[in-house]
Amino acid sequence: MKLDPAFIAEAFVKLLAAIPTTLEITFVSIGCGLILGIVTALARIYRVPVLRELSSAYVTFIRGTPMLTHLLIVMFGLPIAIDALSEALGISFRSVQVPMIGFAYVAFSITAGAYMSEVVRSGLLAVSRGQIEAAYAVGMTTWQALRRIVFPQAFAAALPNLSNSTIGMLHGSTLAFTASVVEINAKAQIVASTNWKFFESYIAAALIFWGLTIVIERLTALLEKRVARYDKGGVA
Amino acid sequence: MIDLKQIRKSFGRHEVLKGIDLTVEKGEVVAILGPSGSGKTTLLRCINYLERPGSGQIRIGDCEVECGQPSKKDIHRLRGRSAMVFQQYHLFRHKTALQNVMEGLVIVRKTPKEEARRISAELLEKVGLGAKLDAYPSQLSGGQQQRVGIARALALNPDVILFDEPTSALDPELVGEVLAVIRKIAREGITMIIVTHEMAFAQDVASRIVFMDDGAVVEEGTAAEFFRSPREERTRQFLKRMTPEGVYNI
Repeated sequence: MKLDPAFIAEAFVKLLAAIPTTLEITFVSIGCGLILGIVTALARIYRVPVLRELSSAYVTFIRGTPMLTHLLIVMFGLPIAIDALSEALGISFRSVQVPMIGFAYVAFSITAGAYMSEVVRSGLLAVSRGQIEAAYAVGMTTWQALRRIVFPQAFAAALPNLSNSTIGMLHGSTLAFTASVVEINAKAQIVASTNWKFFESYIAAALIFWGLTIVIERLTALLEKRVARYDKGGVA
Repeated sequence: MIDLKQIRKSFGRHEVLKGIDLTVEKGEVVAILGPSGSGKTTLLRCINYLERPGSGQIRIGDCEVECGQPSKKDIHRLRGRSAMVFQQYHLFRHKTALQNVMEGLVIVRKTPKEEARRISAELLEKVGLGAKLDAYPSQLSGGQQQRVGIARALALNPDVILFDEPTSALDPELVGEVLAVIRKIAREGITMIIVTHEMAFAQDVASRIVFMDDGAVVEEGTAAEFFRSPREERTRQFLKRMTPEGVYNI
């Protein structure tokens, strides 16, 4: 068997069409995951009764199980729940009307949320107690202090981890293939299925993932540069 | 103006404040002195509820709070009456000097941005940092950061400014510039409560000295009375330790 470089290029061009799907899955899961992460991290840091225990259980269970398992459980479990609920409420909506990518959104958001919870927590812990005390001392409410003073600094501190998780979710989005969602990896398989040049096709997919990762790395570097304006941390 | 009644505070089983009474009149500059661990910083932090007193009453102006179970609203109102200057400055690290001073005006007092900018620039000018408006805290020396901290407190135009050991974290050669600024604003008749270890400064700037030891007020009086003729034995011991002779007399 011989490598066919021309087909790598051909597959590459065909795979470009799947980039939006991959990015949608990545950013929906990172976005929803971040919100989940902020809520659960705050619940744990501020020791909110009940919510705190729920958050801890959520984080340990989700981080303790594979992302693929989350997708499978959501894929098979959610339809049952939706249909039961629709029936109980007398609505004609049924789970078959939910597009498959919807299950990927839900499952991966749950996955990302658990990792984000730790990312957010590390960021919040990096902000010194004195910052929020100073905010209180000028008369801010807790919410104002968090929004104006704590979150921006926590975001800066969490940036490297945040970038890491985003890249992780980008690559993890390939699992959506299991739910018949045609993202980059699935597309690579489809493209090669006519001539069996899977090797070339997957190389093209790898190059696209690498390119997308570089974009995320560059964006992170740009943001870090802005942060470094006020904070020259580190040992170098 | 400020009235503290029977303030009590415990950390676990350790009682840090054993029923403190303190009254401060408008325009007074009160220095709180005492050995470390005597509860002076805790008392100061109780006044704006950064520390929650177990029991007692705090009144600043017409804002009165019954400690114990105050509502969030009460705490918020009380904090609006005072401003604090911290030992470790605690400037907002992601904001420039100007933004640090503006923040409270814009977010809490809802002052229009342009006006807040003007007031803040004037205040920074006043503390000698007119050329550093756009510097971030990490680009400023300790003394400069603390002067921004003072401008931030002044901007709120509070009933009282609380100073928590404002020079303790500074290099010796930077202490003078900060004390000079505090002295300057003290002369303008702003009510201040200062926790400090700078004896000479307290003697010079304070209209009244409160000496605390072991969670209680041991002695209070005018600076002249306090330093020249302390009444209590514990005060005399403390002053002896704090004066240079005490250091060299090994």
